Amino acid sequence: MHFKKLFQVLVLGGAVLGAAAGCAQANAADKDKKPPADAGTTDSSGGGVKGW
Amino acid sequence: MSSARRAAAEAWAFRARVEQDAALRFERLAKVVAGFDPDSPVPAMMHRAADDERRHTELCARLAERLGLPVALEADAELASIAPRSLDERKAALYEVVAACCITETESMATLTTLLAGEQEPEVREVLHGISRDEVVHSRMGWAHLSRESATAEVAFLGPLVPGMLAGTIDTGLFGEPPADEDPEGLLRLGVLPLSKKRDVFLGTLEQVVFPGLEKLGVDAEPARQWLARVAGQR
Repeated sequence: MHFKKLFQVLVLGGAVLGAAAGCAQANAADKDKKPPADAGTTDSSGGGVKGW
Repeated sequence: MSSARRAAAEAWAFRARVEQDAALRFERLAKVVAGFDPDSPVPAMMHRAADDERRHTELCARLAERLGLPVALEADAELASIAPRSLDERKAALYEVVAACCITETESMATLTTLLAGEQEPEVREVLHGISRDEVVHSRMGWAHLSRESATAEVAFLGPLVPGMLAGTIDTGLFGEPPADEDPEGLLRLGVLPLSKKRDVFLGTLEQVVFPGLEKLGVDAEPARQWLARVAGQR
């Protein structure tokens, strides 16, 4: 089951949820927006999140 | 103390810290996402998820303590963003949501469903059940956010960054040998996957859930596939 069902429940289910509300707005100002003070780790390539 | 009980106590203590971090991350991201996408259902989901994670923290810490390992959690913990510094606020939020929800929470759900297919001690099973009900939503909110962003913003920049997310997710020992005294049956009964099963679940989830999901929503998973082949091939 497992992975196929997870794809349907999590990925497809999530995508439907996201589409159900009004559309996100493209924000041209974002292109010039500077990162917030706490954005980004000291590792410029980014990191990941530990889980179970 | 048996090897399974000791290893399980450490795993549940680790999970308590992971859940505490998740609560902090979701609270912060909820505010950021609401700032540029006020119609999104995701910020409200994240606020609820933060409450869930605080409850999970207590459940995991209590279980670790019952197994013999009291957990000391920082009351005033803070959590910095994991996104690359070069990204603007909106892209940094997307990076972090994909890493935390689309990858890590999805992997957690796969772990939970695999565990729940087996048998556990009653108290452990109750905790697993309670957490799994919430983790479904936590994974979904990541896919929901990626879906919304892919419809209106540029998400392709994530493709080359996914290997960094994955590298920060796994333990270095995932592709190594299990401990000599590993007790697979004992671990499963205490809510922990033995190493070989953990590896199988991790790989299967990436290959059959996360990578296809990313591709469906406009993120090239090929760099991540190449990273995985390299890392897993070193076994």
